[in-house]
Amino acid sequence: MTTKLGDWLNDRSGWRTIYGTVFLRKIPKINWAYTLGSATLFAMVIQIVTGILLTLYYVPDPQLAYASVTYITNELPFGWLIRGLHHWGASAMVLLVVLHMIRVIVYGAYKYPREFTWITGVALLLLTFAFGFTGYLLPWDQRAYWATVVGTKIGEVTPVFGDTIRALMLGGEEISGLTLSRFFGAHVWVLPSVLLLLVGIHLYLVIRNGITSVPKRGE
Amino acid sequence: MAEETSRPNDADEQAPAPEGPAQDDPRDQEVTRRKFLITSVGAMSGAMAAAVAVPAIFYVAGPVKEQGASEEWIRLGSASSVETGSKTLMKATVERRAGYLTTTEELSVFVSTDNGTDFLALSNICTHLGCRVRWVEEQDGFFCPCHNAVFGPDGSVLEGPPPRPLDRFETKVEDGQIFIRKL
Ligand code: HEM
Ligand code: FES
Repeated sequence: MTTKLGDWLNDRSGWRTIYGTVFLRKIPKINWAYTLGSATLFAMVIQIVTGILLTLYYVPDPQLAYASVTYITNELPFGWLIRGLHHWGASAMVLLVVLHMIRVIVYGAYKYPREFTWITGVALLLLTFAFGFTGYLLPWDQRAYWATVVGTKIGEVTPVFGDTIRALMLGGEEISGLTLSRFFGAHVWVLPSVLLLLVGIHLYLVIRNGITSVPKRGE
Repeated sequence: MAEETSRPNDADEQAPAPEGPAQDDPRDQEVTRRKFLITSVGAMSGAMAAAVAVPAIFYVAGPVKEQGASEEWIRLGSASSVETGSKTLMKATVERRAGYLTTTEELSVFVSTDNGTDFLALSNICTHLGCRVRWVEEQDGFFCPCHNAVFGPDGSVLEGPPPRPLDRFETKVEDGQIFIRKL
């Protein structure tokens, strides 16, 4: 039954070729450190799913943001779980992405022909940080507020354009409702769009170039 | 590695076996191992997806039970303001809690009495699709502007698409004040 359906679809889409290219590709003898990229990918999927669920209730409004977050955590069934997954998943992302990068460094996997994979990787690392930074403000509590004060003050240290950068981040001179809504917009629309595009390119490159083998002594 | 397939949980898991191009591998031992791994990965993925999906259903449905106006008596106003033999539109503001927000909502009710002691309270919400009906004294009926429904003075449907009469409230009078409650 399922095979029949699969064949039917395959006739019209050739999905088996794609499935084969993605999942049945040849890889060298490798170790668990090579799963870190996939682990990051998995964490990303969790973030997307739980993040979408959070937007069903969260509102980026200075009057209501905190109340909506409290409502999610304390009153909705499993709200604590959804928020908790997103909260801890954010840290897991940073941790995993850094470990993945360390593995790439240690095994020298950034060398020809994988420099571009590395470059997209760097962009993904920065994006992961940007997610963490913009997401941190959204609960609109004291910690969120002051973390954003500190974060944007760091931006202000930039030579020449410092003031402009901070004002652009905040949407004005000080933190306000404008800051909250632009952080929200960045966190749920801008960054995910860029992330998905880059992950797509990154994975395409991984498949197209194949996985490096563990370097041998003297290599 | 050969004995992988004899693990106890393997028997429960139906192998979907979406075999790819490598199916024609001559060593069936390899194929069994592959099948086992595919099934295990599939089962684990399914379990993990369910671990999020099931709570998500409850989470999404969370506010459903919160809805519905309160079961308490709502004060409409002084009973003497209801003219005998006519319909008086009385309003009350009720609080409605929706998640993290408590909003006030206006409730409009047509109240009438024949003897000054027994009161009839009819909702002004058309039972067809929720437009607000108005009372037209000269024609002795409630008219809905949306699809031309007509209700009689007792709320019964005289014309148009509504499936049931206008909703009634339970009423009581205390210290000269009319109170209503959802029936
Ligand atoms: C959202 C973040 C990221 C995701 C989802 C991701 C995903 C992946 C996956 C699934 C692989 C396959 C091999 C493996 O798992 O080790 C991979 C390989 C690779 N990644 Fe990433 N990655 C991310 C961030 C990064 C970062 C921050 C860097 C470095 C700056 C990087 C550089 C590379 C390179 C060079 C390879 C090729 C390694 C090889 O061929 O052995 N990636 N990535
Ligand atoms: S809503 Fe009143 S007639 Fe349709």
